[in-house]
Amino acid sequence: MILKIANREIRRLLTGKIYWFCILIAPLLCCLFFLSLMHEGLPSNLPIAVVDMDNTSSSRSLSRQLDAFEGVEVTAQYADFNRAQTEMQKGNIYGIFFIPRHFTQQTVSGKQPVLSFYTNNSYLIAGSLLFKDMKVVSTLAAGSVALQTGRAKGYSDRQVMASIQPVIIEAHPIGNPGLNYSIYLNNVILPGIFALLIMCVTVYSIGIEIKERTVPDWLAEGKFTLIPSIIGKLIPQTILFFITGLLMYFLLYVVMQFPVHGHMAAMLLALFLLIIASQALGVFMIGCFPTLRLGLSFACLFGMIAFSITGFSFPVDAMYPPIQALSNVFPLRHYFLIYVDQALNGRAFFYSWHHYLALLGFLIMPVFILRNLKWSLKYIPYKA
Amino acid sequence: MKLTGAIIQGLSDCFIIWKQELQQVFKDIGVILMFIVVPVVYPILYGLIYNTEVMRETPMVVVDESHSSLAREFVRKIDATPDVQVFAYASSLEEAREWVNRHKAYGILLIPSDFSQKINRGEQAVTALYIDMSGMLYYKAILLATTEAGFDLGAKIQVQQEAPIIYESVPFYNTQNGFASFLLPAILILIIQQTLLLGIGILVATTRERNQGRLIPEGSYYTGTFRIIFGKALTYLTIYVFVCFWMLMIVPHIFHIPQLTHYSSLLLFNLPYLLACIFFAMVVATFIRGREMPMMLLVITSVPLLFLSGISWPVSAMPDFWRYFSYLFPSTFGIQGFVKINSMGATLWEIAFEYRMLWLQTGVYFIIAYLIYRKQVK
Repeated sequence: MILKIANREIRRLLTGKIYWFCILIAPLLCCLFFLSLMHEGLPSNLPIAVVDMDNTSSSRSLSRQLDAFEGVEVTAQYADFNRAQTEMQKGNIYGIFFIPRHFTQQTVSGKQPVLSFYTNNSYLIAGSLLFKDMKVVSTLAAGSVALQTGRAKGYSDRQVMASIQPVIIEAHPIGNPGLNYSIYLNNVILPGIFALLIMCVTVYSIGIEIKERTVPDWLAEGKFTLIPSIIGKLIPQTILFFITGLLMYFLLYVVMQFPVHGHMAAMLLALFLLIIASQALGVFMIGCFPTLRLGLSFACLFGMIAFSITGFSFPVDAMYPPIQALSNVFPLRHYFLIYVDQALNGRAFFYSWHHYLALLGFLIMPVFILRNLKWSLKYIPYKA
Repeated sequence: MKLTGAIIQGLSDCFIIWKQELQQVFKDIGVILMFIVVPVVYPILYGLIYNTEVMRETPMVVVDESHSSLAREFVRKIDATPDVQVFAYASSLEEAREWVNRHKAYGILLIPSDFSQKINRGEQAVTALYIDMSGMLYYKAILLATTEAGFDLGAKIQVQQEAPIIYESVPFYNTQNGFASFLLPAILILIIQQTLLLGIGILVATTRERNQGRLIPEGSYYTGTFRIIFGKALTYLTIYVFVCFWMLMIVPHIFHIPQLTHYSSLLLFNLPYLLACIFFAMVVATFIRGREMPMMLLVITSVPLLFLSGISWPVSAMPDFWRYFSYLFPSTFGIQGFVKINSMGATLWEIAFEYRMLWLQTGVYFIIAYLIYRKQVK
């Protein structure tokens, strides 16, 4: 019986262009888009301006040092701060490095000149990357001056360095040592788009039967029992989505070689559970609003919020407590936490089991609206 | 005489079309959802998610093998920063890792046993910092707080010679590095374009379904291409004047998003943005068949469009192909322009590029819409 319904569904899937688009083409296009957009990983050569009021050989060498950083490109030199600020407002540069008048002279005479760097934090990623590089250059500048004066006074380099920076902090970013933004963002954005499409397709495939009044035809194959009819309808979609999901994983973890420090099987299981959890939510949505466009709107709006509330860019811990609680009803949130444990950090399965369970838990959702859905399937199609 | 008559006739037809389209909008729950409910509710939702702006007190654990007062002083200084909270002392790296594995902490600082001896001998002490990379904000907070505390410690114990050069960092515009101040303006502008796309898409598809695939209903008013396009555009403009007022003036106010602009430049900037979005949506809509298709086809574009705008992924790191591709969408210039005016206090003159591009898009998409509709007028 389920096979019969599945058979019917496969025929529908193969002939509907929209299914081809949403199940195969759109997810892969998004993969190609995001992976090529961020192929640099860590944005390099961010344009900045140097305002050099000192204009001596040592201040010029400082700006050359800054330019030598991979993350920075000094695209302009100005003798006037206001010019630089206007360029910043126009968005042509993301930062300004300011070397004050008499910088060299004051350094030599021990008067502690102040180097200032300005970052445009309206662009959060660019701003914080530049902050890091400009800070390092300033520290290095201070260090090299100190070394010169220290040597003149007869101190060893080690002594001088220890006096400037007594504590060295060796940072080890676990799992993503290169601070690769593509790894950081695409491991969540792409499954997020995938989950959104799964919800939409699930809602659509049931809603369109209501809209086109083909429900009797569909249910007849299932001898008018609702649960087998739904399962039979969704299984072919599950399989197709899983195939697309495998393609996505192939791109992420084989072609791009994004790190999987744990078992691939754990990630594959997460992928499968994300698919069926999203499908279950889709059924729930069309059950709540049994007209195609309302059900679909629900799926879209829910799926879009998922990107924000999952907390991969802005952490969930920083959100208001009710929102933190709400984040649990988004499958992507659990998928994200599994990814962090299993792929990024390679932790034991034990640490993420409850998120697997949570994803599985979404399968209960359709039960709540079964009665509503049954009613709608029975009566709405026959309405004139 | 004939010309004036034609103009008056045209204008009156235009307003009749405006009125009919307006009725069409309010008869259709799907369109109301896109034009009114989403623009009202969504900004609030996003505002609530991001309104806390920053991650405070990111928890980390310390493994102190030095057991010295100097090490404890160092840890106290880290704990005192607003960004980081030292959640616990762990007796071993294993134990510390357990905290991180359980998401109770996002970083581990390992202070070696020779920490204070080295500093007292006038050598550099090396500490190791392990950071969970599930969020860049954790990384930034922990690394920065620890580095600052290290410098502070040097100053306190006076082993530090006076630095020959001081430096200061001055954040511009979004001074507290807030997430809502960074992302919300971009999201607001994007919502305007996306809801117009979806709403107009639904309207056009409905007209098609009701008129045997034609874009224009029967009726004597629908005889001139100009009046059809202007009449319809005027409808959407009327609604979105209110939508923009809500989204770009009231919502930022509710969530304390910095606004460094005069309302007059906001108004002047929004006119071409709205027009570009409307004509763009009218063009895109004509290619979509079926009332539900706009949602199925367009919903996945929102996240890519946000990234194409260059607000989070810097334009300078974008491959040329995608940068030029982004010029097709009003949202690219809308977001850049709005962020510069609203958050950075730029004047219209400083965003002349975006401003001109939006008018150019308005022109181009108007012409395309005109050509498409002219074919339909018989």
